[in-house]
Amino acid sequence: MKFKYTLEAITIIAIVAFSGLFLYTSSTMAGAEFAGSDNAGSRLIAELAGKPLENFQPLIPQWEPPSGEIESCLFALQAAVGGILVGGVFGFWIGSKKKA
Amino acid sequence: MEGFLPLQWCIVWWIVALPCLMIGLYQLKKILAADREALPLLGVTGGFIFILSSLKLPSVTGSCSHPTGTGLSTISFGPWITSVICAIVLLFQSLFLAHGGLSVLGANIVSMGIVGPLVGYAVYRMLRDTSVNMYLTVFLVTAIADMFTYATTSLELALAYPAETGGFVSSFVLFMGIFAITQIPLAIVEGLVLALVFKYIVALKPDILIRLKIFSEDKINAARDGAS
Repeated sequence: MKFKYTLEAITIIAIVAFSGLFLYTSSTMAGAEFAGSDNAGSRLIAELAGKPLENFQPLIPQWEPPSGEIESCLFALQAAVGGILVGGVFGFWIGSKKKA
Repeated sequence: MEGFLPLQWCIVWWIVALPCLMIGLYQLKKILAADREALPLLGVTGGFIFILSSLKLPSVTGSCSHPTGTGLSTISFGPWITSVICAIVLLFQSLFLAHGGLSVLGANIVSMGIVGPLVGYAVYRMLRDTSVNMYLTVFLVTAIADMFTYATTSLELALAYPAETGGFVSSFVLFMGIFAITQIPLAIVEGLVLALVFKYIVALKPDILIRLKIFSEDKINAARDGAS
């Protein structure tokens, strides 16, 4: 019988390699803070513009999540909406296939 | 990043983004009216944009970045409808997460929802009728759409902030160094995950893929028999 799960295997290997790479870099790179690449980007913008970071204020007033916890809550909510959509549709397809 | 793009550039990117969103909304209306079964497929492909763009993943450069997840939707519905889904996600992130912002929303729609998917779509159209494996096509489209999203972000920032010496080109290289290098491993993993998802869509609902002419019937049937 032909091996049916090549793609699954490659994906799992890639995810494990990715995680391994992360463990390696996070243990060897002393300065790595794993902040968003946005932050590194903003620092470069400030440098190029020759203005301190604090001078960049939102053009349109913006609500900011008061803490990291609340921010991660809202991100989780976004992922949950996506998860419900994906799971719901796959379930629907499996169900309608069984019926037919 | 609200506040980091000067007003004139915000307006430029909004002007680019708006007509694309109009086309997307029009196409969306048309496709849903023509085929009700397109709706679940839209749910899955859009759902993955929601999930993947909410994940901030660490990368080799010691900083974190988001995947975009736009590949599947680009292949299934084309770049314009993908822009509409991205606009929804980006609006949510600007309103509630201080991620992006209303003034830079246009620029973000252009990079994540238009240029990335457009380049991905070009790759898909080139490979669709060749003998290239379907899953490899999905992988390439996804990874390339992701990379071009961040290349576009770098371009947008470099245009607004040319370096004093070397001008636009050297600041583009600097921004690419930050955004694109961080993105490479994420793009690869993202491409593989979406290729795998596509495999399950092929297994469960091949008829919708054939009806929307996403891949030829022969290719889909061959993939189902081989189940790689």
